Amino acid sequence: MIAQTKSAIAVLALLALAGCGTPSESSFSPNKAKLGSLIPEAQAEIAKVLAENFGTPNQLIAWERFPIDYDKPDPQADDEHKNQREAGWRLKEGRNLYMTHCVHCHGVSGDGDGPTAKFLNPLPRDYRLGKFKFKSTLGPLKPSRNDLIHIVEQGIPGTYMPSFVLLGDERLGLIVDYVRWLSIRGDTEVRLANELINIGAGENDVSDAVTADESKKLKRPDVVAGVVKSINDELAGLVNDITTGLAEDWAKADLPESVVVPESPRTPPTRDSIERGKKLFLSQVEGKKTKCVDCHGASGRGDGTSTEEFWPIPDAKPARKYEVAGLHDDWGHPQKPRDLTRGLYRGGRRPIDIYRRIFAGITGTQMPGFGGTVLKDNEIWDVVNYVLSIPFDGKQSAYPTELEENDENRKKIASGN
Amino acid sequence: MNRFWFFFFMAAGVAAVGSFAAAPAMGWWFPGASLSPLGAQIDDLFYLIFVITGVTFIGVMLALGYILWKYGGGARDRGIFTHGSHTLEVVWSIVPAGILLFIALYQMDVWARYRVKSLFDPDALAHPVAEVTARQFEWRIRYPAPGKTLQDTPQPGDLYSVNDLHVPAGKPVVIRLRSEDVLHSFFLPHLRVKQDAVPGLVIPVWFQCDKVGEHELVCAELCGWGHYKMRGQITAQRDEDFRNYLEKLSNTQFDDGVTTAKADLPKTEE
Repeated sequence: MIAQTKSAIAVLALLALAGCGTPSESSFSPNKAKLGSLIPEAQAEIAKVLAENFGTPNQLIAWERFPIDYDKPDPQADDEHKNQREAGWRLKEGRNLYMTHCVHCHGVSGDGDGPTAKFLNPLPRDYRLGKFKFKSTLGPLKPSRNDLIHIVEQGIPGTYMPSFVLLGDERLGLIVDYVRWLSIRGDTEVRLANELINIGAGENDVSDAVTADESKKLKRPDVVAGVVKSINDELAGLVNDITTGLAEDWAKADLPESVVVPESPRTPPTRDSIERGKKLFLSQVEGKKTKCVDCHGASGRGDGTSTEEFWPIPDAKPARKYEVAGLHDDWGHPQKPRDLTRGLYRGGRRPIDIYRRIFAGITGTQMPGFGGTVLKDNEIWDVVNYVLSIPFDGKQSAYPTELEENDENRKKIASGN
Repeated sequence: MNRFWFFFFMAAGVAAVGSFAAAPAMGWWFPGASLSPLGAQIDDLFYLIFVITGVTFIGVMLALGYILWKYGGGARDRGIFTHGSHTLEVVWSIVPAGILLFIALYQMDVWARYRVKSLFDPDALAHPVAEVTARQFEWRIRYPAPGKTLQDTPQPGDLYSVNDLHVPAGKPVVIRLRSEDVLHSFFLPHLRVKQDAVPGLVIPVWFQCDKVGEHELVCAELCGWGHYKMRGQITAQRDEDFRNYLEKLSNTQFDDGVTTAKADLPKTEE
């Protein structure tokens, strides 16, 4: 009894103390999945590069190389805006907002592994691959800044990503710029890891080199020293190439010509258009490899045959398959094709949103782009009209009422012809 | 130690009364006067109960103080023990029961106007302005297409929005409240409206906002780890502005990237 009381007091005391003192400084954690196959020395080199160029969460380094608006410090700023006196103040403001609103799911490093992440399905986005699903830009391009703002503003229905619309444009912009910066940081790490693998810094390469040496004189430290030397020779160049490339990619995403814009306005969702779209959806049109049905299923429930197959893991050596049947995304998580009957559209319900999903595909997933290759502009609109009609059993498509009423064909549908 | 308990208990009483007296000036009180007529009546009920309990509290404190002062000093007479007093028990049962009965009857009118569907404004009830679906952790809003009536299930022309509920000001409006996952509570503090959102139920809630502008909408039921994120707003607008808002929403929602403003094209940097 006394022991129990004592331990209860000890626990209470600990709890009371836990609230005291300064919290331990937060830090960016390394991308274990990508760095794990490197020798520790190479991992340390990458950590050094990141620390030198990006800093820590409390000591951010606003690297001017990237197309992110850090804004100039304003030494004259009044007390209310005294944070603006520092260099890179926009990045720091963005971090503060991110740490308040986003970090518990998306994590300090933007790895989608914050404390609440494990309760979520789907998992929060891991920014470090530099891939974002819902965007207006062409296939492989990065999302534009506006795309990310749009997502943070509207949230993603059907997931745990809520809307932050009431934060206002200013703060949304700050958050999104910090997310872009985090993504670039994580992307640099991943790309650098891949490059170092290429120059032989992989754990396997090193141990292979040791075992392959027939004279048995070659020792691991010698091999490692050699690898570290070639890393030191090439690192600066690699970092320069990677970050320059990333800067260009992100800048390109914000060019008007990167945005998917339909050639023609939306075809009114007449019964004919919906029917044409349905045929394309079901792959019933000669010479059109649409195959929507393979994943989304004949009734659009997201239960196509591909969801029951076992798929190989891309780039896995030796080749092996996922243990779970069905599609997986680039992050390696199981992923369901969208159930189109529910009327929940994660990337937005505007016709242009659906158009862009079909035209450019969804980055990081198995959803391919059909624009410019398989489908012509008007055919994409037909598919859009069909997709937007699936929640209404294919009878009518989401459409502004006013236009609907002016549309002869739609009146026919209404009267049952 | 003579007067310790007297001062101890009286200090508690004074602190309680003092904090109530200071509350309005410190901003601890209501978030401004009610912006809805029914809310003002709910406030009246609150004040009625507040006065009853306040007077009782002060009376009890005075009696307690009197006893503590009188018997708490040096005079340590032997206590007299009594057991049971029929009259006393009847009095302290009947009086509170009477007060409770009075409150129960007196508030029925307001309660009925707030909750009984047949007393809702028939026009507002027949044409709910929107369906509000609470989910972890936001408010998803579905308006019927302009000129149409809200249906139970989504319709092709429906307009969608999130966290910012627009309503016409100065007349009763009805929303249909749902929950997608767990219990939430739709709370409009400035209008004194609070209604739980219950999974599986569609609950009509009516209110009237007389003041054009943006007011708070919060979740008042701990609904999970992100409960604090569930802050929205209600925007009361003049009829015409409300119609314009829906039109704008419609233009955005049915944007095909060609005919309407190319919203997603990056703005040319200066």
